[in-house]
Amino acid sequence: MSSITLEIKQITKQFHSDLVLNGLSFQLQKGEIMSVVGPSGSGKTTLLRVLAGLEKPTNGTIYMNGRDVTKQKANRRDISLVFQQPLLFPHMSVEENVAYGAKVSKKYTQEKVDTLLEAIGMTKYRSHFPSEISGGQQQRTALARAMATEPEVILFDEPFSSLDPSLRQGLRYWVRNFLVEQETTAIFVTHDMEEAMIMGDQIAVFQEGKFQQIGAAKVLHESPANMKVASFMGGHLILNDQEYVPLQAIELSSSPFKEDTQTFEGTVEHITYQHGRPIAHIEIKESGAKVPLPLTNDEQLQNEVFLSIPVSSIQRFRGTIDE
Amino acid sequence: MKNNKPVFTAVGIVFFIAPLLLLLLQSLSAPWRFQSGYGVDWKLESFRQLIRDPYLWEATWWSILIGFLVLVLNAVVGILTGKALSSYSFKGKPWVEALLLSPILIPVLAIAMGLHLFMIRLGLADTMMGVVIIHLVPTIPYSIKIFHNSYQQMGKALMEQPHILGAGFFTQLFTVELPLLRPALRSVTFLTIVISLSQYAITAIIGGGQVLTLPMVFFPFLENANASLMSAFSLWFAFVPVVMYILVEVILLLLPYSRVPWRNHR
Repeated sequence: MSSITLEIKQITKQFHSDLVLNGLSFQLQKGEIMSVVGPSGSGKTTLLRVLAGLEKPTNGTIYMNGRDVTKQKANRRDISLVFQQPLLFPHMSVEENVAYGAKVSKKYTQEKVDTLLEAIGMTKYRSHFPSEISGGQQQRTALARAMATEPEVILFDEPFSSLDPSLRQGLRYWVRNFLVEQETTAIFVTHDMEEAMIMGDQIAVFQEGKFQQIGAAKVLHESPANMKVASFMGGHLILNDQEYVPLQAIELSSSPFKEDTQTFEGTVEHITYQHGRPIAHIEIKESGAKVPLPLTNDEQLQNEVFLSIPVSSIQRFRGTIDE
Repeated sequence: MKNNKPVFTAVGIVFFIAPLLLLLLQSLSAPWRFQSGYGVDWKLESFRQLIRDPYLWEATWWSILIGFLVLVLNAVVGILTGKALSSYSFKGKPWVEALLLSPILIPVLAIAMGLHLFMIRLGLADTMMGVVIIHLVPTIPYSIKIFHNSYQQMGKALMEQPHILGAGFFTQLFTVELPLLRPALRSVTFLTIVISLSQYAITAIIGGGQVLTLPMVFFPFLENANASLMSAFSLWFAFVPVVMYILVEVILLLLPYSRVPWRNHR
């Protein structure tokens, strides 16, 4: 049976009149990776700062391996945080940066530093200074520095957001494999749903100070808890605050009459291509909602279309936040 | 990028090297007039006269000691205050910053008499510590401003990084902050030592003649018409901060992660 590494109970954080974290509770097993997704400014970074010990929670308790660490300072917690920027120490070489974390946490061995440098592919650049290496290399070094402290939990605050897309894609898989190999418990904050699905064993949709739903990508996609989750996941047409329909159930046609269907009139605004498939961006006249619908390659579209939704495919939001 | 090196060299020679050379030449020769018919008369008499001054060495040591104490206090207060100002945001922060700068807006002499009475009550009048404290008034505001700017340049996130990795206050200070504050420490070193060395009036008032610093020996020489002797004294005066600066630079080399010749490089 796996043990609980991190447990959060009823954490709240208030800045003046703003309630940024509103009674959050969750737990992570050893080696589990959770992605936290949410819109910008929703308080994701504040959550990480509270967990890392850089901010004090207004209320609530944080347990690590069953021990209350709520009042412990950041440097005493066995938690590492990788920021959006690499924040390497400019006066230290790559090797010194990696060794620094290990030395201050009294877990230094030259062998470990060598292994980490090898793992991040930076052995060749070990004596380079941060200003002499690329953004991706800097971010990998920052990750190795965080790993060198052998933390129980690593927190990532959108670490790839400043990198170009191709580099970002490669690093995602590299970090994910690295964490799995080391059996490190991690929380990965991002506003990119694709990244969240690649990185996390489970995904927590965070909005308005609380988790709207926590679960595997498949669960979130197939049965979203509420409108916010459905709208953040994409892939659904939200009919009202109770009902939604998966996009793949929607059919496009030029005539409005079909049995047992709900029909909406729409205007095709753009056609874009994603992963080799054309996507029609349609504005529904009645609600003004915009939906991206995948098309078959040979489909010919008029500017004005009808969206037919089989009544049997209309679903209700499940309402509960956990799986 | 435009190469400004020749311009820098020319400005350096005209405004720094040339005046210093002239001062050196003047100190080693008797006063010489254009078309006087005589050549330059080289002699070491001015330096001999300077060394013969019974108070010179005493004043030099006092000045160095006071300068170092002023520098250390400036560094401690400047670093702590600068870090606090860049780390915390609170109501009325601009007022606090203005208040910390205010001592340089008011001439120290204007408050010297009041401070003298205050020092007498505290038993600090006519003592070295009293002089050190009064020298803090014209220097501390600059130090706070310099360190505040440096911490702001570093950024709050870079300061949080060592803390997250497990570094305590002193480890973080000596391994990350001080090495990155090196340029600020250099500026503060020169500034505080030069300002401290130049204080005549407030040193005379608070030190009461008991604490003898270089300006107190130097200023009476101003009445002297001997330009060679004045030049020699000026060189002696300029030599003290340079030596102290070199000493501080050596101390800075001892900081961890300094780029010293014996450190491994590619």
